[in-house]
Amino acid sequence: MVKFPSDEWIKNFKDKLNKNKTYEEVATNWEGDFLLIISPDEKLRDEVVFYLDLWHGKCRDAFIVTREKNAAFVFRGPYSNWKKVINNELDPLRGLIRGMFIVEGDSKVILDQAKAAQELVNTASKIPTEFEN
Amino acid sequence: MGKTLECYFWNPELDLEDKLDFKYQDIGNGIELKRPIFTNDALDKIITDLKKKRKEFLLKMGIANILDIIGKVTDQWMNSDYSRRKFALEVLPTITGFSVEMLESLGFGYMLGLLKKEHIPLTGKLQNKNFTEFAEHGDGLVRAYGETEVAYSNYELELIGHVCAGNILGLAPLEMVMDKLVDAATWIKVPKEEPVFGAIYAKSIEDIDPQFAYTIAILPYESKDSKVQDFLFSKSDIIRATGGQQAKKGLTDLAYKHNIPIAGHWHKFSFITIARDYMNKRAKDIAELVSFDVTAWDQQGCFSPQEIFVETGGDVSAVEFSEMLAEEMETISIRLPKGSKSGKMHVLDGYHQYLKKEMMGEPVKLFPSSTYQWLVIFDGNKPTFEPSPLFRVIKVKPIDDIMDTVSIIKPLGSFLQTVGVAIPNNRLMPFANAIGEVGATNIRTVSNMTLQRSWEPWDGRFPLQELFEHDGIRWVSINTRDIEEDIKESLERKRMLVNQSKVK
Repeated sequence: MVKFPSDEWIKNFKDKLNKNKTYEEVATNWEGDFLLIISPDEKLRDEVVFYLDLWHGKCRDAFIVTREKNAAFVFRGPYSNWKKVINNELDPLRGLIRGMFIVEGDSKVILDQAKAAQELVNTASKIPTEFEN
Repeated sequence: MGKTLECYFWNPELDLEDKLDFKYQDIGNGIELKRPIFTNDALDKIITDLKKKRKEFLLKMGIANILDIIGKVTDQWMNSDYSRRKFALEVLPTITGFSVEMLESLGFGYMLGLLKKEHIPLTGKLQNKNFTEFAEHGDGLVRAYGETEVAYSNYELELIGHVCAGNILGLAPLEMVMDKLVDAATWIKVPKEEPVFGAIYAKSIEDIDPQFAYTIAILPYESKDSKVQDFLFSKSDIIRATGGQQAKKGLTDLAYKHNIPIAGHWHKFSFITIARDYMNKRAKDIAELVSFDVTAWDQQGCFSPQEIFVETGGDVSAVEFSEMLAEEMETISIRLPKGSKSGKMHVLDGYHQYLKKEMMGEPVKLFPSSTYQWLVIFDGNKPTFEPSPLFRVIKVKPIDDIMDTVSIIKPLGSFLQTVGVAIPNNRLMPFANAIGEVGATNIRTVSNMTLQRSWEPWDGRFPLQELFEHDGIRWVSINTRDIEEDIKESLERKRMLVNQSKVK
């Protein structure tokens, strides 16, 4: 089991994503890096930020951010909503529509990459994850 | 050979057509409308099926698939050779009273274009704490007024009901798409003034994906049919309704009876304010842009301007601007003529009312169209807000300062909606803050008043959010971040839209 959120988890995610042929196919036009911000809520005390560099169906880099870092897109939401996404209980785009997540960056690009977003979630859901109690 | 148009749509597998009686209405030009007489049993089957299809298909679809279907349906409608579009353009002028040019330009050219995939609003809800001042959102700016007070919240909507007003084409398609983005099944009461387009659009969805389409029902019952309405409300999670004050009372009471929320969009007033900074060599361009706002949908929309306040002190006076506007009204009325619903009596009414004032020596000057297509009235009396007779009748009133508009329109408060502006960037923000404070909700560059953007709030609420949450926040938008630039772009946009209306 890999603890979420942790550097180990995001690196595991990167490895799994780079082996995912479907993702490679649907994200072939994707260019752009992400900051995934896990905001604190009753289950998580401090904010955690992941950096994810996605490039034409591959993940070039993924790590937990400890210093200031910028990216083309920022996807932010509370820990409990991230948990639902990783458990494949919440489509992140549906979460966006309902205000459960906030995106910064060109949302039209994300709309175009809805299938890639779905595959990111499918990949995340395959990581044996241990959540905060 | 006449055409019989079905004003309804539901899953044909229910096999209800043989079991229902229908009413037929001859509306002229060889067109007959066919409406079902609903029975409780039939309605029950339709609603049960909507919920079933939602569960079996919609909830299992990835959002990417939903967006794909919406995109494909819209692509069809954007093609001027699409058979359903051609058919709609054949029959809608008779049904709606709008000219074919108007329907083509503003209906198909603009409204349905809002459903292009790239325009779908991905952000359903904003965090109001980040918008205590106007801040960037979409292509423009938004500001939140009020404190969060959640009166309703439901993130698992099963069935949404819509009661649509008949003044604007395209509301039903927008509602269908919005509902799918929140995974809800849909029933729509289409208006008696235009009961056809909803069904035509639903069939165009069926062409692309039948199961997706069967989460939608178009139900053309009459408002006075209280049993039908009562049943439908009892089965719905929320109602979104558009209409006048009478509809507001009846629908709100019914929603209250069934303890369900209602997202209502009722009667509103809109107007234009023009700063003296544009009353110079650019005044003619501004008049051209304003003529589009007045002409669009024959001024029938809640977003259509009813008065124009022109700030004095520029090179061009308000009366000179009125004359320029009259010239532009004549030009645009050739490209976007009125349809069969000409409102001639309304124009005449406006004319005689103000002719009397002019003859009595009041500072009034009339600029009429010789064919009653439009009427521009300059009224130099102390400015107040007076509703227009509509149908392209517009009053121009001089004001000493653009900020005077605020006190003039303040009594209208929550009845205010869209404010068309030609105010330079450096003066816009204080005006926007003040006008937003008193109740206006959408500030748009002149010529854009009827061109709602998908990211903008509607009557102070975001159209998606108000389906799943009512939080008491009132949002005010400005359609651009740079009005100088937008005025230039608006001229191009207006000319493109108007030129699109050339009937092929």
